[in-house]
Amino acid sequence: MRTLVLLWAMTKREAIELRRYAFDTVMQLVTIYVVFLLIFFGAKAFIGGAARTGGTLPGIVVGFMMWTLAISAYSDVSFTLVQEATAGTLEQIAMAPLGLPRVLVARFLAGLGFNLVIQLALLLLMMATTGQWLHLDLLSILPLMAVTVAGVFGIGLAVGGLALVFKRVQSVMQILQFAFVALVALPLDRFPFFKYLPLAWGNHLIGRVMIDGISIVRIPGPDLALLLAVSVAWAGLGLAFMSRLDRVARSRALLGHY
Amino acid sequence: MRGDTLLEIEALTKVYRSRRRGDVRAVDGVSFRVGASEVVGLLGPNGAGKTTTIKCLSTIVRPTSGRIALDGVDAVRHPRAAVEKVAAVLEGNRNIYWRLTVRENLEFFAALQGLRARAVRASIDELIGRFGLGDKARTPARMLSKGMQQKLALACAFVKETPLLVLDEPTLGLDVESSHDLRVHIKEAAAAGGRTILLSSHDMDVVQDVCERVVIVNGGRVVTDDRVANLLELFGARAYRFTIAGPVGGPLGDALRVRFPLLDARSDPYRSEIDVELPDGAGFYDLVDILRESRSVVESIDRRDPNLEEIFLKIVTQEAPQGGAR
Repeated sequence: MRTLVLLWAMTKREAIELRRYAFDTVMQLVTIYVVFLLIFFGAKAFIGGAARTGGTLPGIVVGFMMWTLAISAYSDVSFTLVQEATAGTLEQIAMAPLGLPRVLVARFLAGLGFNLVIQLALLLLMMATTGQWLHLDLLSILPLMAVTVAGVFGIGLAVGGLALVFKRVQSVMQILQFAFVALVALPLDRFPFFKYLPLAWGNHLIGRVMIDGISIVRIPGPDLALLLAVSVAWAGLGLAFMSRLDRVARSRALLGHY
Repeated sequence: MRGDTLLEIEALTKVYRSRRRGDVRAVDGVSFRVGASEVVGLLGPNGAGKTTTIKCLSTIVRPTSGRIALDGVDAVRHPRAAVEKVAAVLEGNRNIYWRLTVRENLEFFAALQGLRARAVRASIDELIGRFGLGDKARTPARMLSKGMQQKLALACAFVKETPLLVLDEPTLGLDVESSHDLRVHIKEAAAAGGRTILLSSHDMDVVQDVCERVVIVNGGRVVTDDRVANLLELFGARAYRFTIAGPVGGPLGDALRVRFPLLDARSDPYRSEIDVELPDGAGFYDLVDILRESRSVVESIDRRDPNLEEIFLKIVTQEAPQGGAR
């Protein structure tokens, strides 16, 4: 019950902030859209006809969507911590009876709903712009997206934990942005171990739904189980790492510093 | 201390380990208790260990050793259970969300504590009224004056409905009017809600006005734990000001300084004021005898009532009278 109250409060706060800072929200979307256009038309010009026949361009649309979703999911935690610390509210949320990690999970879940809606809106815009109409089977796409992003969130929690102790972790965040590009762009048949990392396997399955038109019920059970297991494992590891660094930060009295 | 013990701190120690600078012992065996519904001041000079103590009992700093019991809950072993018992307004922090309105802040902090908006609606309305935020309820916090923001931070602590409230420098940076206003609100809210308050402040007027008892820490240790009224009486009863005609100097000045080394005398050609602390009755008559022998004309003798600030300064500079410190 207490978790639901917290989740509702976080969702309400997220909605208020998105609405009250509508210009900033819109500009973020415009920026993502412009970056997508540069990547898409750059790839089209560079690869030429082979891209269209080889399925590269639809892959770029799906990969870019998953990459931006991943970036927003993992950076949300660390940005939240940095923002709360600089705003002077981190110690207040650290005093929540549910504990700081769970507050951040609630914050992530609240943000996830908005992120999924925003990503789908952007996806429609990207498809309309590029003429690459993909299969929009929402009942298949949304659960896969949510589970995929949960694994990425684990990385976000770990980076957030580092931010609690070391404060400035921008360099790690920048490196991770490039790592996520590799996870969505590199082919899994050549790099099979990538499927055990966050994002890669989920991106692959979502690609099968959106590009190949396969429903989630037709995806083999072991494939779905692997996605779930990988995401839960990374989310769990991230949560454990974050909880550990939360204790370190409290022990060294670092929560109030930035 | 009155009532059942709500906060019990025993041998609290916090050591910050540093390879470069060596260990820093911020809190060194602090022990005190606070009874239910008490309003207690936690005083001390900068670096005395007040904020570390406050953060330890708020669970945001983990102590090196010692015990903290909040309403019977061990805050060191079970911090999550303990934070249900304490809310804090921390020094130097905003403590509130500037993007949210007054009402939204109150609802958010209640939810953070696990309280549903519907269940605390009446309480939020009451706090908005009590803290004079009625016409600002829909105003984002960033648009409020500093005084109003601090009132909102206090209201956000009160809305959590915890039995203990910790207020670290709640009047810091406020103008005289806002500070006075805020202390009235603290007193009213404490009385109305029956809350226990631990208040740390450098503003001794606030402490003297709001607190029943003070715990003074210095160098990480408790040096005094007594009721404000007792301290004022203890120090007030022993401080006198003698006003005599003419300057104090020559043999009279020498005789006074030999017998009363801590005496403070100010003279002009027409009048002298002698401030002296006389811990026992004999000293008073000794002084009178010295003045009589020098044929000084005593114009007046006044018992001085030092305020809490003067008492605090004496205590932390280790001039506490016997029995004042525990």
